[in-house]
Amino acid sequence: MLRFIARRLLETIPVLLIVVTATFFMIRFVPGGPFTAEKAVSPEILRNLEAHYGLNQPLHRQYLSYLGSLLRGDLGPSFKYPNRTVNEIIADKLPVSLELGSLSLAVALLAGLPLGLLAALRRNTWLDYVCSSVSMIGLCVPTFVLGPLLVLACAIHFGWVNASGWYYPSDRILPCLTLGCVYAAYIARLTRGGMLEVLGQDYIRTARAKGASEARVVFHHALRGGLLPVVSFLGPAIAGILTGSFVIETIFQIPGLGREFVNSAFSRDYTLILGTVLLYAVFLVVLNLAVDIAQVWLNPRLKFE
Amino acid sequence: MPRPAVLRLFLGALLLSGAVGCSRPEPAPRGVLRISQRNEPADLDPARATLPDEFFILRALGEGLVAPSPDGGTPQPAAASGWSVSTDGLTYTFHLRPDARWSNSSPVTADDFVASYERLLSPATAAPKAGLFFMVRGARDYATGRLQDFSAVGFQAPDPRTLVVTLERPMPRFLDYAASGPWIPVNPRVVARHGRLWTRPGHFVGNGPFTLVEWRPHQRIVVQRNPAYHDAARFHLAAIHFVAFDNGEVEERAFRAGQLDVTMAIPFSKVEAYRQERSAEAHRAPLAETRYLSFNTTRAPLSDVRVRRALSLALDRAKLVDKVLRGGQEPAGRLVPPALRDSADKEPVLGGASADDPAAARALLAAAGFPDGRGFPRLELSSWVGSAVCEAVQAMWKKELGIDVVLVNREAKDHLASLAAGRYDIAFMTAIPDVADAANLLGDFASGSPGNYPQWSDARYDALLAAAAAAPAGEQAARLLAAEARLLDQVPLAPLYFNSVNWLMRPGVRGWHQDPLWTRFYQDLSVDEPE
Repeated sequence: MLRFIARRLLETIPVLLIVVTATFFMIRFVPGGPFTAEKAVSPEILRNLEAHYGLNQPLHRQYLSYLGSLLRGDLGPSFKYPNRTVNEIIADKLPVSLELGSLSLAVALLAGLPLGLLAALRRNTWLDYVCSSVSMIGLCVPTFVLGPLLVLACAIHFGWVNASGWYYPSDRILPCLTLGCVYAAYIARLTRGGMLEVLGQDYIRTARAKGASEARVVFHHALRGGLLPVVSFLGPAIAGILTGSFVIETIFQIPGLGREFVNSAFSRDYTLILGTVLLYAVFLVVLNLAVDIAQVWLNPRLKFE
Repeated sequence: MPRPAVLRLFLGALLLSGAVGCSRPEPAPRGVLRISQRNEPADLDPARATLPDEFFILRALGEGLVAPSPDGGTPQPAAASGWSVSTDGLTYTFHLRPDARWSNSSPVTADDFVASYERLLSPATAAPKAGLFFMVRGARDYATGRLQDFSAVGFQAPDPRTLVVTLERPMPRFLDYAASGPWIPVNPRVVARHGRLWTRPGHFVGNGPFTLVEWRPHQRIVVQRNPAYHDAARFHLAAIHFVAFDNGEVEERAFRAGQLDVTMAIPFSKVEAYRQERSAEAHRAPLAETRYLSFNTTRAPLSDVRVRRALSLALDRAKLVDKVLRGGQEPAGRLVPPALRDSADKEPVLGGASADDPAAARALLAAAGFPDGRGFPRLELSSWVGSAVCEAVQAMWKKELGIDVVLVNREAKDHLASLAAGRYDIAFMTAIPDVADAANLLGDFASGSPGNYPQWSDARYDALLAAAAAAPAGEQAARLLAAEARLLDQVPLAPLYFNSVNWLMRPGVRGWHQDPLWTRFYQDLSVDEPE
């Protein structure tokens, strides 16, 4: 298993290098630069600014010097925020995204797994229809509708919580519910499907024939196999929760990294774009690896190789 | 059976979240004004700041030699209690207040100002707004590296209380430039000690009515009253919270939830509703911002002045403002907004091409070889906002001239880059002056100026601008008017409207004042406690 992990990690190095290289050159071919502004700056000031950030160097030299500082763990200074480095911005914003993501994921699992299990165990009963409808609605209502609706009800009408911000523990409730609901819906549907497939297998009938209790059949025999689709989904989903919370971070004015990720592209903050893209690439690679490991553990037919 | 257990768990969680939530977390603290901040400041360094949003905060934290006047007149004394001007108009001698103090209680000296301006103009600092100093003798050469010795630049401190500024040539509006945000000084010792980190709370030292106590990026910036400020008696707020909001809808919901006292704007779709139903909260003010159509004069058929004039004459600006924008904007018959005009200047329309005259427009287009729009190429009308304005313009040209334009929407920086490179046909654009000086706005359209998006070059216009710059104080306004008339006669651009700002403010906020150039005045401002 260790060899498997080591090999996979080694494989990520060329992947990340390609990501960095492609991003580095792509963003330079986008029209407009970090200093493009409505009130155009004069050429002499632009020259000073470009010299200040080393943008007057040939592109290949900028690329090499970026790679050099990357090896030292330095993601460079931000173009948009001159008094912050990309490392500082990530250190500041990533914990917020992680908190939002992990709480939302907890909501998603706590709501999605029981819903899916209930639906599968009570297949084609009213309970199944209710659970399936709820998850269908969860899938169909986008976060930018659900979020403002929750704000209108809980913040503006009842005044229970703040409409936006990230200052108090209670500020976490609405964003995590909103983001968690969408993923809960996915998880519920995947759990239901996975469980239904497993519950129809021969070994489940065998377990029942041997007189195993319903709880033992479900939780001991079926659940491990039934959760396989959920686990495959969770890898990219966790990366998605961390990268794709741009909408939630905007709706609730949360100082997370998802917004920096998107806004850095609009402000042509070259180093911040690279830093966030690289970070998310690492996330994806690591989470996919974690999924592969979990799948081997859950499914005895799979082996590390 | 799991059902009741799950139900109980769910209800329990619901109650718990209710219990946490019911302790309403954000009561408005006493004497604190919570203002929405739309753009996260790039930095709180006057040498780095470029946006009005950054100067909202910087003007609370520091003050220059002079400050904009709330009534829009001549700038007022600030760190300088007075000044004198030499008879040739070249030398300004500022007398600093003896009681001016940095927030770390050291005195503000003339040397601090000189050191601040040396830092700002140094090519290594690369200050984006260094151009606001270029009227000072040698400043441009120093900023571009042609001059190495800062003592040759026109800033001298003969004693700690006196700052002498020498200009390249007389400039009657110089004080307006000296009142602009980048002229706010920094404490050179603090900057030297902390480097780029000097603007962090705990390090920041300013000479303004407030001091920086908190800066959480994309959350809020908190400034606290500075009792040591020389005019502290006029500043009644205990603190100001600049609360970050990137999105207008989110901001409006926070206002309704009572988390904000002043917003930056009202979402377009809600302006009418607020003005009718909650008029005590809806406010409106004019801005010194002209929205215009830029014609790429290097591309046929827009290189023909008759075509440009026809396109401009076919626009019904009053209709645009009344029926499409409906936010208190003013139809623009010229480029210079009312706030930048001389008090004697009463001309609403200049140059004759900004009136609504479809018949004349059709005749001009026919004379240019496109009768009833026949044979007119399909030009692109590009914008950076999905704009109803462009759709209205498209419809007006179709109706009055029989021509079709294609609407193109570009991402903001892409739009600006294509304007600067001349890669467009017709573009919707905005002109915002840095200071209350019409020359600052008109200068953008001089030949070769980086803001000359129409790529227009007119020797007569350049000569008129140069003549205005060299004219004595009394004649300058008239010369600038002549230059503007020439610009509008040649129609490299068609002014559409003067923009306005709509915002929401709690009725308990008293003494709020901001001018058309986005300067906010924090003196005499107070906030009633919410009942």
